Amino acid sequence: MIEQLKIDFNKIEENSKFSEDNIKFRKKNLQHFVEKGFPNKRIEDWKFSDLNQIISSNISNLSFFNDKEFKDSEQIYLIDKFEHNKIIFINGVISKIDIKHEDGKKIIINNDLDFIGNSNEINPLVSLNNALANTYTCVTVKENYSLNKPLIIYNITTEELQSTALNLRIDIKLERNSNLKLVTIFDDNSQQNFININQNFDIAQDAILKSYKIDHKANSNIKYFYNNINLAKNSISENFIFSTGSKFIKNEVNCNLNGQYSSAFINGVINLNNSQHHEIKTNINHLAENTKSYQLIKTVLNDKSKGVYQGKIYVDAKAQKTNGYQLSKALLLNKDTEFDGKPELEIYADDVKCSHGSTSGHLDEDSIFYLMSRGLSHQQSKELLINGFLMDAVEKITDLEIKDLIKDIMGIKE
Amino acid sequence: MLTVKDLKVKIDNKEILKGLNLEIKPGEVHAIMGPNGSGKSTLSNVLSGKKGYTVTGEVKYFNENLLDLEIEERAHKGIFLAFQYPLEIPGVNTNIFLKTSLNAIKKAKGEKVLDAIEFLKLVKQKAAELKFDEKILSRQLNVGFSGGEKKKNEILQMSILNPKLSILDETDSGLDIDALKVVSEGVNALRSKDNSFLIITHYQRLLNYIKPDFVHVLINGQIVKSGGSELALELESKGYETLS
Repeated sequence: MIEQLKIDFNKIEENSKFSEDNIKFRKKNLQHFVEKGFPNKRIEDWKFSDLNQIISSNISNLSFFNDKEFKDSEQIYLIDKFEHNKIIFINGVISKIDIKHEDGKKIIINNDLDFIGNSNEINPLVSLNNALANTYTCVTVKENYSLNKPLIIYNITTEELQSTALNLRIDIKLERNSNLKLVTIFDDNSQQNFININQNFDIAQDAILKSYKIDHKANSNIKYFYNNINLAKNSISENFIFSTGSKFIKNEVNCNLNGQYSSAFINGVINLNNSQHHEIKTNINHLAENTKSYQLIKTVLNDKSKGVYQGKIYVDAKAQKTNGYQLSKALLLNKDTEFDGKPELEIYADDVKCSHGSTSGHLDEDSIFYLMSRGLSHQQSKELLINGFLMDAVEKITDLEIKDLIKDIMGIKE
Repeated sequence: MLTVKDLKVKIDNKEILKGLNLEIKPGEVHAIMGPNGSGKSTLSNVLSGKKGYTVTGEVKYFNENLLDLEIEERAHKGIFLAFQYPLEIPGVNTNIFLKTSLNAIKKAKGEKVLDAIEFLKLVKQKAAELKFDEKILSRQLNVGFSGGEKKKNEILQMSILNPKLSILDETDSGLDIDALKVVSEGVNALRSKDNSFLIITHYQRLLNYIKPDFVHVLINGQIVKSGGSELALELESKGYETLS
């Protein structure tokens, strides 16, 4: 695999017009990845999801060079429930940017930057992304601007894409007192690829980000999402993760509450069947006084699927009056399913309020009896209870249009 | 309507009902009274189809073998159990649940299902009759309801579903006098020559408001005495001990 990686890297280098500094940066990152490789279960953070093993058993002859042509088909899946701005990626390449609902001076989208960032020596997958990313997209929302409509980033893959590693980097910058509703939605028509997306959010003072990630179409791709969120004073980041489509996903969220009175919300739903395996891993770092974090993750597992939630809350010594909360609940519908939960609190301040909870269990037979005694079939009762269980987390979505979209996807009608 | 013959029920080899006989005709109201542990709730659970019991004997409901029917089929055919402890169902809106339930039953009967507007009209009317705050219906089913609200919600479901045989399992327990009156009025409004009731209770109190045609005393898994409504008064003054 490493040989293939080096050959493909040279191909990427030859086919591009990267600056010398950028190539230096990429090579350094490549070197780091080559030393570490794909993470395996011997690494604590990956002990429930051995990516190295998952990739080798699901993808044969992984190629790191992505030159897959795409047909700009008319069958592109677009949301028609509400008006929105769009960035459409097809097989990792931007095919369309449409921000017609906005003032073009107030939201800037760049996708031709010769990116040079800080090398992250800790995470080899971020290094891989830095080394290979074929597009770097940066969205900046200017000071005091609130978008009129949500921005939807479509990540579409077509059937031409196979056994390929796709690396994307998207940076979102919210300037002071700006406001963005972002939906990242995946429409996979491809199989057996490794999709590695690195998203960085920089949220300035008084700005509000609402970010919703939806992966719902059944596919055999393996995905890793690394989200890094930096919050300045009095800013808010609301995140929702809807994780049901792909064969494997690890959603890693690193969130730094750098400014006083900043808050972060990470809620999510994992709903799996067959042999799917999804993980949500969070690191919430309270680094200033009066910061708040809230996490609610609901998992439903069917067949032989596996769900993982690793949630860590870190409270720095200077982050007094921190309010941190996390709750994970899992519903195991079959004896062959597995759920692993690892809540962690690391607290160095003495005046804080932090709590966590984790439960896993089965559907309550008495509740099924209650619903069936009102004329519902066993299947209807089960669905109602499962949806009810998941709704708890979905109800946390503060944007009504997007909440309705997710309810639609879940098949909940009112 | 309902004929129970020599009904024996076991849980984990422990015999709870030991040969129970009962006949309910259309339009009749029967009350079953008995001390704790006599098998009252087991009887209501078995009639509505709850799993986990070993059942022998015969239960005929309109000439059908009730014991052969699934839980939801019994509901479709007009059996309703008002639960002693109604379950809290998080994330499920009460109104949506009520509509799903009513339409499941209508569909099974081959009747036209109600659309959202027709349903809302029906619910409003029934809620008003029961002096039930409509706002509660937009909340999650029974979640955070007071004991009284839960019981009233059972009676609301009953009056919306309009069952032929309603089984009330200690619906009066935990109710204050005002709520008791409202619940009783709900039951009395449903009384007709076709609708029957089986009321399970510890106390005679409820029977002041819902006058039964027959009272049965259930002790240790068997009906030891049957009589008219005066039997309830007798029990209230003498207690169960004289009968056991």
